[in-house]
Amino acid sequence: MDSILVRRKWEPYVWLLPSIILMTTFVIFPIMIVFKLAFSEISKAGIVGGFVGFQNFVDAVKAPAFGPVMINTFIWVISVVGLSTLIGFIMAMVLNQEFIGRKVARSIVVFPWATSLVIQASIWNYIIKYEYGNLNNVLLNMGIIKQAINWRATYQIEFMWECGVGIFVTIPFVTFCVLSGLQSIDAAYYEAATVDGASFWQKLTHVTIPLVMPSLTVSTVLNIIYVFNSFPIIYTITKGAPANKTDTLITYLYMLAFYDQKKGPATALSVIGFTILCLVSGLYMMMTMKKEDA
Amino acid sequence: MKTVSSGDVLKKNRRALVLAVIMLALALVLLSLPAYEFDATLYTKRSGNTFVGDERYAKAMEEVEAVAESYRQQGYEVSVSEQVTERVNSKGETTSMITFSIGSAKTYRAWDFLGAGLPSSKILTVVLLCAAGSLVLMLLGLRGGMATPHYALKGASARMRVIACALAFIAVLLVPVFAMVNTHSFSREVTLFLSNMGGEAAPALMQKIGEFLYGGVEADQLPELLKGVTYHTTWALWALIPVLFVLLCSLIVLAKGELGPTLARGGLYVFIIAMSLLILYPFYVMFITAFRGNAETTDMYFLHMLPTKWIWSNMKDIVERGVLRYLMNSIVLSVGATTIAMLCGIPAAYAMARMKFKGKNVFLGFVIMSQMFSPVVLLVGISQLMNALHLNDTIIGLMLINAAFNQAFAIWLLRGTFLSISSEMEQAACIDGCNTVQALVRILLPMAAPGIVTTLIFVFINAWNEYTISTVLISTPANKPITVGITQFSSFNMIEWQYLFASALLATVPVIILFMCIEKHLAAGLTSGGVKG
Repeated sequence: MDSILVRRKWEPYVWLLPSIILMTTFVIFPIMIVFKLAFSEISKAGIVGGFVGFQNFVDAVKAPAFGPVMINTFIWVISVVGLSTLIGFIMAMVLNQEFIGRKVARSIVVFPWATSLVIQASIWNYIIKYEYGNLNNVLLNMGIIKQAINWRATYQIEFMWECGVGIFVTIPFVTFCVLSGLQSIDAAYYEAATVDGASFWQKLTHVTIPLVMPSLTVSTVLNIIYVFNSFPIIYTITKGAPANKTDTLITYLYMLAFYDQKKGPATALSVIGFTILCLVSGLYMMMTMKKEDA
Repeated sequence: MKTVSSGDVLKKNRRALVLAVIMLALALVLLSLPAYEFDATLYTKRSGNTFVGDERYAKAMEEVEAVAESYRQQGYEVSVSEQVTERVNSKGETTSMITFSIGSAKTYRAWDFLGAGLPSSKILTVVLLCAAGSLVLMLLGLRGGMATPHYALKGASARMRVIACALAFIAVLLVPVFAMVNTHSFSREVTLFLSNMGGEAAPALMQKIGEFLYGGVEADQLPELLKGVTYHTTWALWALIPVLFVLLCSLIVLAKGELGPTLARGGLYVFIIAMSLLILYPFYVMFITAFRGNAETTDMYFLHMLPTKWIWSNMKDIVERGVLRYLMNSIVLSVGATTIAMLCGIPAAYAMARMKFKGKNVFLGFVIMSQMFSPVVLLVGISQLMNALHLNDTIIGLMLINAAFNQAFAIWLLRGTFLSISSEMEQAACIDGCNTVQALVRILLPMAAPGIVTTLIFVFINAWNEYTISTVLISTPANKPITVGITQFSSFNMIEWQYLFASALLATVPVIILFMCIEKHLAAGLTSGGVKG
């Protein structure tokens, strides 16, 4: 790596200082506070008492909502990340073709990404209303259905809609990550494959997928983290109702901390969530650092 | 170009031609089969405490038959049906009720719609014209020679074959449209009419429907008759779609010689159009709802695809309710967060890209790790910290949080940009006596401008769209950014959708424009320079 002349040994650290101060104060401190609270007794009024060991964790895990919430979180992350990766990949393949209106199509794909999640979620919340939602309205007016359909009959279906909205807003990110990977592939690979008589599927599995794998990995790991932490969609559409049945860890944690004033169990859940994220990001860091060295 | 013998071409074209003619004939057959089955209940009579075969039954039956006869005399084709409901009453006796109904069931072929003057009649006419036109053009196009490969065809006959394809394509597309328009007329419009919400054209349409179904009835009888109408579409109509599609395929073979590439191309465009429509759909909803009147947003029967009246004053109303204040807060918040993130991020990225020092890898790891920490999982910690710093409920607090959590991304993206620029110029400047600050400001920053702008906009948008932290930290209405501010229009039992979406529109449009500006750079930045891959 070529570097410029640095006259004083401490100089680089001065350059880093503002960034370090900012991140320490607003990222590291909150982490420490959360860890401290998770092991402390906290009264309903928010007064922090002494060390209570794992009592908060026991309370959090023993709550009847904990099991379903963890299952929901799992379904949420797997379905949203999995399907948006699949669909995003297909869309990137399509957008990588030459066709009329390609620039317009690429701009349109960006739209959901650029919109605030709370706004997207509000719109979809309106769309799927039974009595006056826009989906029924459009389908009735186009003559596709004869009667209004209740699109949110049960909470399972509502949760599926939430996953759908999650997928909808996540696709653009995957598409653009894969697209940048696709564009960096040398056309010579495909020419060589064509000369060898490879079919479309062979080209896909032997050239395209291996070469976009790095981009795909990055987008997948980042997505796992973003989606795990996603709050506005579920909070706007169902608020976790009925009885935490559509909550994920993040929305459940928020309700516990700021509605039920149970900061102890809430911070315990934070630590659990934080640990899960750390495992995922640790994995990601190892992969990234490996590539930096290479 | 593959060489094709004229014999092969002749064989292929002949096969395609035969197939096309068969499909056209099949289409004509399908049009003559029943396409719709209508059931209408004209009259019902309930007879309580009646058993099949007893005296009351015979009496009621007689009465019903008399009514049916009077309908027959009016020219209806009617049939009488009965439904028996048995129940055990409180004394343990079995009672039974019989419901007699006089219904008229009728099937209609597609041809019947042609002269009916219904909205779908026009569409069917176009379908038929297209099918016939494609046949004629195909035959005309064949004069170019059956044995000539498509690329050797003369201009006129090649063009005719292509136009024949286009006509067949339109015919395929219009069949489902025909079915949709019928559903709209016979179901949606009828429902609107019966609840007195039809438009000005509704009575005329209902008259047409009355003529079509009952051969002309008095206007005052119509609502009663239409109430009981149910119908379903038969398979014959749906079978028309694959038949016309096969016709299209054979025409493509005649025009282009090969089917695969054309279909793949067509599939590509279908996919893109469908995708674009789906993506734009929520934005369409946001836009039209933002300009609806209050009553219209929550009344399904009132709703049409566009507002019946565009209420532009919704914008004025939300301004009166303080949306400008929220927008202003969002601007201050995003600009502040971006500035802080860049002021801290640029020097750090510069050091990371250009200097050698101990602990560089530790910092690198720290940056990658912190990229993973979403503020959401740390909500409780952040709110406690803000309390301690007395930054709770302030925009400055939000700025700092947003800047801190975007720091990692900013450093990553900027470092990638700096690394992609050769350091020779700076090295030369340093030898000439420039210090590192001057090298950065005068030489590197201007060269790295595109990357810096991309980072800047991305951080700006992240801060602009952030919702969760703001909703926890901000309680004073005057300090709310727009994402939190719009929720004031939704309370527990009532949501003022038109205001919610009008403000959402104001919050969304500028960001989408900004995002479209950096879209091209972002794709590259995300994986190569920034969020490293």
